[in-house]
Amino acid sequence: MIFREVEDPDLIAKARRGDVEAYNLLVSRWEKRVFNYLLRLVSNREDAMDVSQEVFLKAYQSLRKLEDSARFSGWLFRIAHNEAFSLLRRKRPETELAGEPRPPETGARLLPLELSLTVETALNRLSPDQREAVLLKVYQGFKFEEMAEILECPVSTVKSRLYTALDLLRTTLAPVHNLRGES
Amino acid sequence: MSCYSPESKPDWKAYILRELNPDASYQAEIHLTHCSDCREELGTLRLTLDSLSLLREEEVPRRIAFVSDKVFEPRWWQLFFHPTFAAACLVAIAILVHGFLRPGQAQVDAAVTKAVSQVEARHTKEMQVMFEQLDLQDKQIRNFYLSNAAIYR
Repeated sequence: MIFREVEDPDLIAKARRGDVEAYNLLVSRWEKRVFNYLLRLVSNREDAMDVSQEVFLKAYQSLRKLEDSARFSGWLFRIAHNEAFSLLRRKRPETELAGEPRPPETGARLLPLELSLTVETALNRLSPDQREAVLLKVYQGFKFEEMAEILECPVSTVKSRLYTALDLLRTTLAPVHNLRGES
Repeated sequence: MSCYSPESKPDWKAYILRELNPDASYQAEIHLTHCSDCREELGTLRLTLDSLSLLREEEVPRRIAFVSDKVFEPRWWQLFFHPTFAAACLVAIAILVHGFLRPGQAQVDAAVTKAVSQVEARHTKEMQVMFEQLDLQDKQIRNFYLSNAAIYR
């Protein structure tokens, strides 16, 4: 192939040589994913935006420490994880529970936005660890091993968090299943 | 038929999350054909994941971008690896080398004088040969006329 899209490792190599534009392009490729991951984790748009900015700044400053540029995504999400949990620890105690979900009214037909809000509420009901496991697996598509590296814990812990989360979500989202089944 | 042995029950969460290897996935699918409980469990899991997919992806409120401030500027020694700088260095080195290796004006003048004298010497020799041949031809013509004149006399 004569023309190929510039790959992330190419951009990383350029950014390491001080090419800010290459790094900006890398940021534009990943900012939406990182922002959404952080938004679901910290549940606040402004906080998610500030942490995203911090994540990309830290990533740039420690880009030379990244040994394998092919594993950039996992490395970036590990920084995002550390920053998000640092914020969560500062902002609220570990024991505080997220707001109770508002179950959809039985028999009502939900609009796409309401369905999205219902899912968001169900996710917020999970513990931060469980929610993060769902975010990394379901929305970001990481493998168990990659998740274990990002979260710095054994694969068994990753599976345990994720499986418990799925069991809880199965119950919480049952009304959505029923409504979708009816429609 | 239902699942009675937990050991033989496939890990449906790993299956639906595509974490089983191809062989285990195949075995799980075979199990599914004769186990109604597992079919139901897998169906519920699919519904849960389908519901999760309803979550809307949010747009980033403002673009994250970095400007070329001091934090991001390359260190002084990294400039040597910049292509433009490296090319400029090469051109400068080439000019310097050319300047040092080029012969001086006196050497050039001497070489030109030598070449000119060689050309002049060659031309002189050629002219000398040409004059000798003309003299010879002139003598031959004169002898021819003299001999003819003697016959008619």
